[in-house]
Amino acid sequence: MPPSIPPIIQSSVKIRVSNLSFSYNGREILRDTSVAFPEHAITAIVGPSGSGKSTFLMTLNRLWEELPRCTMSGRVEMLLNGVHQNIYAPDCGMEALRRRVAMVFQMPNPLPMSIFKNVAFPLQLAGEKDKRTIRRRVEETLRDVRLWDEVKDRLAGSALSLSGGQQQRMCMARAMILRPEILLLDEPASSLDQKAAEAIEQLLVRWKHHCTILIVSHYLDQVKRIADNVVELRDGQLRIR
Amino acid sequence: MTATCERAVERLFFAAAFVSAFVTLFIFGFMVYYGLPLFSGGRFLAILTSHWAPHQGSFGIYPMIVGTLAISLLAMVFAFPLSMGCAILISVVSRGRLSRILRKVVEVMTGIPTVVYGFVGIFLLIPLVRNVFDAGSGMCVLSASLMLAVLVSPTMILFFCDSFDRVPRSYGHAVLALGGTRIQHFLHVTLPCAWPGIIVAVTMALGRAVGDTLIALMLAGNAVQAPDSVFDSARTLTSHIALVFAADNESLEFKAIFACGVSLYLFTTILVLMIRLAARARGKVGQVG
Repeated sequence: MPPSIPPIIQSSVKIRVSNLSFSYNGREILRDTSVAFPEHAITAIVGPSGSGKSTFLMTLNRLWEELPRCTMSGRVEMLLNGVHQNIYAPDCGMEALRRRVAMVFQMPNPLPMSIFKNVAFPLQLAGEKDKRTIRRRVEETLRDVRLWDEVKDRLAGSALSLSGGQQQRMCMARAMILRPEILLLDEPASSLDQKAAEAIEQLLVRWKHHCTILIVSHYLDQVKRIADNVVELRDGQLRIR
Repeated sequence: MTATCERAVERLFFAAAFVSAFVTLFIFGFMVYYGLPLFSGGRFLAILTSHWAPHQGSFGIYPMIVGTLAISLLAMVFAFPLSMGCAILISVVSRGRLSRILRKVVEVMTGIPTVVYGFVGIFLLIPLVRNVFDAGSGMCVLSASLMLAVLVSPTMILFFCDSFDRVPRSYGHAVLALGGTRIQHFLHVTLPCAWPGIIVAVTMALGRAVGDTLIALMLAGNAVQAPDSVFDSARTLTSHIALVFAADNESLEFKAIFACGVSLYLFTTILVLMIRLAARARGKVGQVG
């Protein structure tokens, strides 16, 4: 039985992390730490540079397993499709998990294909074949991130030609097109100007009503503006602040 | 770096490029000059389409052209999937130690002298082909193609791996984080990005397959006939040059090998151009929409 960990606020727990330890290249980054995250809230993860905030996010979608020389122990449970699941259980499909737990990276990472194909790509990976459904979902999601009006006439153009702010909003659209239950964001606005960063903050505030959001951020102003809860990562320990 | 120094380095690079281009053109001119007695009077086309019968005054190289085409293209048919599979294993599927060991093995394979492959072919492959397919002496197009495929594969594998490795890592993380598998990442992102490198690898491997002399000389049987099947003996243009080289250097027989050289030259150039055109067409078709 995992130890009982109080959630940050008294609402349904979406993610429960128990006794998590993580090492990269022999260096201990997370040390036997436990925390719980409530659903439908924005939780900011703060802490000094290099403390392992991004790594912690990767333990929640198992992306760290793609990195060499990493070891992990502990337990991560999530409430997905209304069922509590241990995401490291052998029967938990990695691809299915990542479709429910989306991630947006610090630097915009558009794929070398058109804007349309970038946004539609997760649907394609998930096996969606119906072109009308794909087109409808792409338009809906691009409207949702307020990018549709800017790109509707050049959907076939390369995604690499978009500005940094547009690329990041496109990446967010791409992450959200499968309607994930959890969204992990690794400093999504750090490479953007203030206007672009504000646009992303507004999106997150809207999205928290149907999604649980964890955001790594260095900007205390941003954390104050949008975060419902704050968790600090320091010396390998996650602490509610 | 001072402006003078920069200019000097620029000139040095220009000189290197000029020498390379000049040597290539010089060799072509040299072969055309010595083969001139055979080319004059519109005989070049006749040489390309007629048979080799020097005692009857016929110096056609048609059988050797067919032999070269058959052996080198068949070698590529064997080598391409083999190399692609190995490169995917090294760069995409396996990670860490296994990948490093496999890559080292392939690197070592590129340094093995061709004659060693020839020996292995004679002692291992020829008896195998002879016994399995009941193919006469076993010295045939198939044997030479198989061994040539093994010879060109390491170069192709390393080029493929290099092309795959140059695809930015961030693309991989993006695809995997979206719920894609490694294979989906490879098919949808890595392969289209690595396409130019794949074309270079195929071009180089084909150039090596067409230009290689020893494997065909040792394993193809060297019969002066256009092969009808993969179990027929055949002679390549390069083998023909090596075999005729001992002849009197004033005879037309000897001059004929310059026609082989020119044909090889044109043949390789046409193949390279065709691959590049196909790649360009593929690029246009594969453009995102």
